Amino acid sequence: MIAAYVEQIGRELAFDPALSQRVRREVEDHLREAVATDPAGGGADAERRAVAAFGDAHVIAMQLARVARTAHARRAGALVILVIGSALVAMKARLAWYAVMQWPAGSAWPATGTMVASVDRWAFWLAVVVGLAAFVSIERREGDLRRFAVLCVMATAALGISVAGDAVLTSLRLMGSPWSLRVLVPIVTMGIEIAGVGVLLASVRRVRARGGGYGPASRAVSTKTV
Amino acid sequence: MEGDILKGHLDMIVLAAVSGGPQHGYAIIEEIKRRSGGAFDLPEGTVYPVLHRLEHAGFLASRWVTAESGRRRRVYALTRRGARALASQRATWQQFSDAIGGLFKKRRPSRSPA
Repeated sequence: MIAAYVEQIGRELAFDPALSQRVRREVEDHLREAVATDPAGGGADAERRAVAAFGDAHVIAMQLARVARTAHARRAGALVILVIGSALVAMKARLAWYAVMQWPAGSAWPATGTMVASVDRWAFWLAVVVGLAAFVSIERREGDLRRFAVLCVMATAALGISVAGDAVLTSLRLMGSPWSLRVLVPIVTMGIEIAGVGVLLASVRRVRARGGGYGPASRAVSTKTV
Repeated sequence: MEGDILKGHLDMIVLAAVSGGPQHGYAIIEEIKRRSGGAFDLPEGTVYPVLHRLEHAGFLASRWVTAESGRRRRVYALTRRGARALASQRATWQQFSDAIGGLFKKRRPSRSPA
């Protein structure tokens, strides 16, 4: 009976194998301890009493899932801010490098460059605003995980557009210049931006993949933190 | 005691139960029952989401140990942050309790003016 109960809780937490494994061990230890200390002695009846006292496996699994998802979302929220900040530093470093090197903007397709720069700027500030909104929404107690996931996707998409714009502008500038060691800074800073968006994409995918229990049922069984 | 009444105070109850020293989940529940005189008799499993949440919040730290029975078990201990949160909650609760106690204190009937 204990084995079946533990299996059920573990199965409901299968979206996070490490959590599932930990909870299985914790619950099994708890139930075995309850049986061992049962004043009426061990056996099937003691197992039944231990399982009944533990509570509904589905409800407890939902509560545990909610805790794990909130913790993961908080990490993802911090990551959104970190990646956006890194992208800003990389952009500013690249622009500073162009100024130090007295490196003129590419002369090819000036109209395209202006338009892309405008899209880049707006997309970046959109990513900042939406990213901050995502961070604040998840840091608030009882944050809405579904809304957080949507905000994360929006911030990542906006940052992706901004980084794509940066890549176009950087390419335009590099196209008209002779290749030398000075191109390393633009290439490395672009690499940082692209890697940041990649990390964010992976994190957002994990947030969305774990989104199965973000609905009202899982919220209904949650409790507040001190 | 009603589960709904306890729900808002579960974090404080669990932190108080762990404040005596590192304990595993079953022992924490037994400690809660013992110290509350059996008044807090929740479904035992409900304490685990609270333990996990308090750990994520940095109020508790946990590690695996091997029990005398040979079973591996997770033991939870209060962190400094958790101790500070508990002290703050205890002070707030004391104020609240004193205020309610004052309200519920039986008053002598006042003499009506002649």
